[in-house]
Amino acid sequence: MANQEIQVVDKKELSPESAEITRNGVYFTPAVDIFENSNELTVVVDMPGINSEDVEVDLRENILTIIGDTKAEEFQGQELLTEYRTGGYYRTFRVNNLIDHAKIAASMSDGVLTLKLPKSEKAVPRKIPVACD
Amino acid sequence: MRSLIPWRWKEGRSVPENALTEFRKEVDDLFNQFFGNAGWLPGTSFSRGFTPAFDVSETDEEILIKAELPGVDPKDIEVDLSGTTLTVKGEKKEEQEEKTENVHRIERSFGCFSRSVTLPCEVKEDQVEANFKNGVLNLKLPKAESGKKRSIKIDVK
Repeated sequence: MANQEIQVVDKKELSPESAEITRNGVYFTPAVDIFENSNELTVVVDMPGINSEDVEVDLRENILTIIGDTKAEEFQGQELLTEYRTGGYYRTFRVNNLIDHAKIAASMSDGVLTLKLPKSEKAVPRKIPVACD
Repeated sequence: MRSLIPWRWKEGRSVPENALTEFRKEVDDLFNQFFGNAGWLPGTSFSRGFTPAFDVSETDEEILIKAELPGVDPKDIEVDLSGTTLTVKGEKKEEQEEKTENVHRIERSFGCFSRSVTLPCEVKEDQVEANFKNGVLNLKLPKAESGKKRSIKIDVK
């Protein structure tokens, strides 16, 4: 109880079974929150160290792909403590809802990518009033 | 199964002592199971905290610290330096109000964090540089004269 180790936020390296990437370098699986309401799907992705220009979001045939690229910095010196490695991020999701491709909005702030995927008209649930005579 | 048989006197080794240490370990484990990950204990974070990952490196002139803090507002980060102990603390606020939303996945962590690192040498306190970009905090701490590596050449005769 006394000497409990602190759990550092760990980055999982992309496992080759889930997806193979044809680029060089290390890729990690980013932590993701997904929320849904009746109008849209919100995907929040933690991608520390990625510039907004280096993020690629792609939705094709219900597969949402999120890629973040980074260039490894050159560093000369001695490393004292290394808990995380720098690398890109890669993750794909299968999106079931009908998404309005034209209205997808993506924003990036403080290393967090927020995607808003509005549902298309067909998928928005509609209440049908029942008239009675 | 063998561990169920407490000890065998025949062998004449210090078996009773082993059994005692084993028992002690079992009791410790029991306590750890009960209190170990308990978020409900007062004083411990309510499973809403997290510990950010740090990279610490040094060159001849300075110490560099990088911390991954995705989604933290730079205004909420506090960096303290006292002597050779550097503390980075702050809070990552949850931006998502969960009103009527269905939650499909929660993997990101929120809450308060605080982490202290002991620096390998004294630094110039007034010349510490900190910047925050794309969710990564970069700290540059120039070494004080006393902390710099000096190499003394000794002639071998």
